[in-house]
Amino acid sequence: MSKISLFLCNCFGEIGRVIDLEFIRKKFEADPDVDSVTIVDSLCMPDDAAKAQVLTRERRIGKVLIGACSPYGKMEFVRLGLAKEGAAVRAVDLREGCAWIHGKDPEGATRKAANQIDMELALLQNRKDSKDLTLRVQQEVLVIGAGPAGLSAACGLARLGFRTHLVDRGSAPGGLLNVVKKVYPTDEPGPGKIKNLVDETGENPLIRFYGKTKISSVKGYAGDFKVKLTGPEGNTALRVGAVVLATGARILFPQGLYGYGKIKNVITQMEIERRFATGALNCKTAVFIQCVGARNAERPYCSTICCPLSLKNAMRVMDENPGARAYVLHRDIMTPGSVLEAYYRKAMQRGVQFIRFDAERPPEVRGQEQVSGVEVFDSISGVSRVIDSDLLVLSTPFVADPESAAIARMFEIPVDKYGFYEEVYPIHPVETRNDGIFICGTSRWPVSSDQAIAQGEAAAIKAASFLGKETVSALAMSRVPGGKLGHAAADAAACTGCGNCVAVCPYKACRLQRTGNRSVSRVIKVRCKACGNCVAVCPNGAMQMPEQNYRVTGEMIRRAFREVR
Amino acid sequence: MQPTEKKKRTILVVGGGVAGMSAAFDLADSGHRVHLVESGHDLGGQVAKLDKFYPTDHCAFCPLWTEIRRCKEHSCISVHTNSRVETLEKSNGSYRAVITKSTPVIDPDLCIYCGRCESACPKGVARPIWEHAYPPVYLIDGDRCGDCRTCADVCPTKAIGFDREELQAEVAVDEVIWSAGFTEVSLAPLKEYGWGTHPDILTSLEFESWKAESGENKGAILRRSNKAIPRSIAFIQCAGARDLRLLPQCSAVCCMHALKQAQWVKRRNPDIHCVILYTDLRTVGRDYYEYALRDFGGNGVRLVRGRPSLIYPLPGGDGIAVKFEDTATQKREIWKFDMVVLNGNLKPTLSSLPGDNARPELDAEGFVNRTATSCGFVMEPADVTESAIQASSAALRSILADKS
Repeated sequence: MSKISLFLCNCFGEIGRVIDLEFIRKKFEADPDVDSVTIVDSLCMPDDAAKAQVLTRERRIGKVLIGACSPYGKMEFVRLGLAKEGAAVRAVDLREGCAWIHGKDPEGATRKAANQIDMELALLQNRKDSKDLTLRVQQEVLVIGAGPAGLSAACGLARLGFRTHLVDRGSAPGGLLNVVKKVYPTDEPGPGKIKNLVDETGENPLIRFYGKTKISSVKGYAGDFKVKLTGPEGNTALRVGAVVLATGARILFPQGLYGYGKIKNVITQMEIERRFATGALNCKTAVFIQCVGARNAERPYCSTICCPLSLKNAMRVMDENPGARAYVLHRDIMTPGSVLEAYYRKAMQRGVQFIRFDAERPPEVRGQEQVSGVEVFDSISGVSRVIDSDLLVLSTPFVADPESAAIARMFEIPVDKYGFYEEVYPIHPVETRNDGIFICGTSRWPVSSDQAIAQGEAAAIKAASFLGKETVSALAMSRVPGGKLGHAAADAAACTGCGNCVAVCPYKACRLQRTGNRSVSRVIKVRCKACGNCVAVCPNGAMQMPEQNYRVTGEMIRRAFREVR
Repeated sequence: MQPTEKKKRTILVVGGGVAGMSAAFDLADSGHRVHLVESGHDLGGQVAKLDKFYPTDHCAFCPLWTEIRRCKEHSCISVHTNSRVETLEKSNGSYRAVITKSTPVIDPDLCIYCGRCESACPKGVARPIWEHAYPPVYLIDGDRCGDCRTCADVCPTKAIGFDREELQAEVAVDEVIWSAGFTEVSLAPLKEYGWGTHPDILTSLEFESWKAESGENKGAILRRSNKAIPRSIAFIQCAGARDLRLLPQCSAVCCMHALKQAQWVKRRNPDIHCVILYTDLRTVGRDYYEYALRDFGGNGVRLVRGRPSLIYPLPGGDGIAVKFEDTATQKREIWKFDMVVLNGNLKPTLSSLPGDNARPELDAEGFVNRTATSCGFVMEPADVTESAIQASSAALRSILADKS
């Protein structure tokens, strides 16, 4: 067992004026586990840091313990610097945690420092190294869904030089934008907006488009997913390093709401787009109702795009039918930012009328077979108004595609309570809990086409930077600098196959595997994030984190209360 | 073509907040070199100064700390703090940038946060940087410093230097990403908000650090005038924003920010009456509307639609009067609050952008024009999630930008 080198930082007296560093040096020099104790003035200053690094390198010290400031001070830089020399480095907070807060009790502070050092020595002596795994990352990538998000992801990846498989259940790329005659706020035609992307899928030899194709099975993990596709050309088996999910969403069908389906000329936003496309829109007064089936008990969310969509279509009605009027009945106009707020101002200047209503008093449709008007309680003026109208447009929200849930299950990522794919954390918005799987577009959360394209690009660079590494160490697959603590590992002899670990693992890293006539747990190293949940629930200690195994923890607890002499 | 054959580029990222850090990390992680220029003392931008983060309600600093370390420790990222881009010249499809670094009186690389300067300073101007800076260092408020230089004598690491010269470095870069974020704009021109007339009328960022758990009140909700517990707080939305006199744009983050603050006030002291006066409750992100709904009921944050016409301190320090029309009842009201928090006065920042000759094209509202690559609030009002998405997208665009 290799011995431990201990570096104690005096921090220009900040530590030494309270803690008896000489006492600690003598005490631990006598410890059989300790090779040497060095007191330095300032481990974070270039001279002393270099000295410690040189010493570690030259004497091939495998285990180093630092006593210095808190990890939120400069100690983390020192620790990572020494770790680069190949040593296992741990650190004890002697300044903030001992000297400063126990300044009035030097003896107590010294005892606490000694106990903490003792505990960390126990850790360094008893810790084991997790077995690492070097992963060859497959250099191809799969993008599912060829709407604006998927197209921009696929083209981004292909332009970066990666062979990209683009799958869509429809026969042609484009997604919902194919239906939209004009997009807000620029008024360019929907298909035109993505024309260059669609063209590129046909022209770029690195992109292969699979129309009318579905995913039939997925195996594997980040770096090496084995995906089977079923389409008109039969089955295709792919091996890809990363997957971008851009499977899109549906727009709620407002059956039974505001007379939809019963009264003529009560239509959805998608239907008004189709009418614009055929040029058959004649109306004198169009009324748009916002939040139809959204921001209610069943779907308490805002669908992002409906307000600007209504602004656009209201202006369009006025443009195409001279003399026509347009009303937007809303609960809040959702035009955050500068571009959309300016668009809202433009609509107001253009003469679109805005009437605010309460969720408790929704508008009522007039008319039996044909819509004749809408009665609305204007919550700002406090009066009911009847608007004679010959066209009623219902703004319904995006809802998760029914197929999203199955796809999420296949790729083992979570969905939120409305069925949209969930990101790992708001600051990492296109990454998921399953490394190598990226999400973008409306399958992630309702977004505009501009946002979907940006998210596709975001997913592309995230996937590309993972693929670009070509080989990856599983221990380095972490968002935290310095890598992971380790990987959990099950002792096959002690595992009873109870499955507790499988149930609690948030990353789906634990699997039960049949060996002989029993099941034992196996940890997928690439997925394990060393959270330790599985270790905590294992009833007989079969699951351990080698770096923080039960010997380490037990011995650390014992030493925490050991008398210091 | 194999991806490895792609030429690696060098990108200049201007602004080291969430957007700039995300862009820098994505570029570096795909093997490109990055110069990340930040005008402030540390990376992290505005989010580093936030007490809490919506919609998770987590401490804002924890996730950010990881991002800051990832950038600082990445071998492909050169972080330039306390720096600004002095000039930027484009020729033959690439840029030459001059980065000026003005090291503060206390050199952050040498400061060990021992605090001896603070004890020695007779005028009390040596203060710790904000609590969430990593690593923490001391700063000297140059405006109030009496130049006695006592601190320099007590500093054990000789980190204090009063006569530093600015350092200039010239770098050649292929592309520039603008991510300078936002700054608060003074509400003084809009007299009706009463900003500056009473210590209990604060902007939301002032309130955020005033109420912060790591701040001077350790999370207690107190009036700024007399440190008494307020009975009521009004949150005024769109103060200065959606207002053609000052900022025509919607600042996009304020509705959620006010909801978050009101909720944290309630969590820490449920007896404080909280009212949010809003125009449109803009809650478009994942779980945002539900976040707002949480407040309607038992939690007791009252949402009232109305825009104040006048806010003024009552004589004798007896609170702040807010005059407005409640549009739900069409009644003109004057309500008395102990504190008023003004929300919305955010504009894209220009302070870390270079001089006029090198500045990117800006639109009428001061946002970076879409002809340049930008991300975060300087491109379009955005919260953390949106900024991170735009940043990654900008990173990709900067790599793929046609250089011919």
